[in-house]
Amino acid sequence: MENNPQQVYTVSDFQAVCNQILETAFTGVVIEGEVASFKINQGKYVFFDLKDEQTSVGCFMMAFALRFPIEDGMRVRVRAVPKLTNWGKFSLTIQAIVPAGEGSIKKSLELLKKKLTAEGLFDVAKKRPLPDKITAIGVISSTQAAGYADFCKILNERWGGLKVLTAHCQVQGMVAADQIIRALNYFNEHGKVDVIAVIRGGGSADDLAVFNDEALVRAIAASKIPVVTGIGHEVDESLCDLAADVVASTPSNVAQILTRDRREVAKNIRDDVKRINNLLKDKIDEITEMNRTELKRVLQEIVRKIDVVCADVASQRKILEQLNPECVLERGYALVRGDLAVGNDVDIVLSKKEVKVKVIAVKERKNGKNN
Amino acid sequence: MAKTISDKIDDLKTGVEWFYSDDFKLEDASAKYKAMTELAKEIEKDLAELKNEISVIDKDFSK
Repeated sequence: MENNPQQVYTVSDFQAVCNQILETAFTGVVIEGEVASFKINQGKYVFFDLKDEQTSVGCFMMAFALRFPIEDGMRVRVRAVPKLTNWGKFSLTIQAIVPAGEGSIKKSLELLKKKLTAEGLFDVAKKRPLPDKITAIGVISSTQAAGYADFCKILNERWGGLKVLTAHCQVQGMVAADQIIRALNYFNEHGKVDVIAVIRGGGSADDLAVFNDEALVRAIAASKIPVVTGIGHEVDESLCDLAADVVASTPSNVAQILTRDRREVAKNIRDDVKRINNLLKDKIDEITEMNRTELKRVLQEIVRKIDVVCADVASQRKILEQLNPECVLERGYALVRGDLAVGNDVDIVLSKKEVKVKVIAVKERKNGKNN
Repeated sequence: MAKTISDKIDDLKTGVEWFYSDDFKLEDASAKYKAMTELAKEIEKDLAELKNEISVIDKDFSK
């Protein structure tokens, strides 16, 4: 042994070297397996075994890094650093853990949904309406994603003049949630946008699992700027959707919600002009009709007044006619001319004749009647 | 400062409302109608020319 040039380690040094080699060889290794013996000690330290049919590895992590509810039997994917402990036990120090496989994702989602609902994170009363006038949009998405391209296409087709600031993030995988949270914080700190849109196109339950990350859901709920989500397809519903102020069914739908359609606006404008043109015509017609009616009424009044005058004239004429002495003679009366003294000659005028007579007697009448 | 398209649309809306309001005067209507027609044409032109300014923030969110 003494002649052997091979390096001799202390146990601690050997453990340290092993850990160094492990860290170098497996930087952020991702392992998938089933959770067993899951427990949280003192509310801070999480222990469980990650296993498959043949093998089991002990795992350790801090409770604050636990972003999804985990239970025994769940299939999970972990990002971890392998480590040889001071007791010579091989274990994984977990940096991140996400449920894997449809069943586990669903189970985890249900547990977290129940917890956050109880906290009131999804209360409808907390939802804020989007601003009436949006001039700047903060977009959180992967610029390489098809969903982002769809969003930009629809946005440009529908409206213009908007300032769109895109925070390029990963939108799937174990690091995505933290990146999206940083982007949310960035927009909230800089405050240059009216609304934040979190966008991701369709994908499998695994792809979309990041949008059920507890810290991300809480960050969306806590955002000072209203958040609209457009994650996956219409059938997909994530906890981020529940926490957002407005939920769009797809990234394209986000663009539809945030903008008016310029073609529709142009049509409305044309309709408005047409409407006031018709209104103006109607008003002119109305005033013309009103004038016609008024003229007709004035004319009728004039005719009525003429009729009244004519009737009056006819009436006066009738009276005059009755006062005409000829008319009196016509009725059988006679007009006597001359001095009515006995022996005098007087003229008597009748309607058809004139008679000269001599007065032979004159006597007074009493009260216009014969004595 | 030049009016934004939204300002112009608001102006058009106000202009249209005048025709339905008690302030409507036939003697002013023709001039107003011409102004609204011109404004509508201007808005349509602006709408066709409007472009969005899309930029990617120069920041690495992975760190």
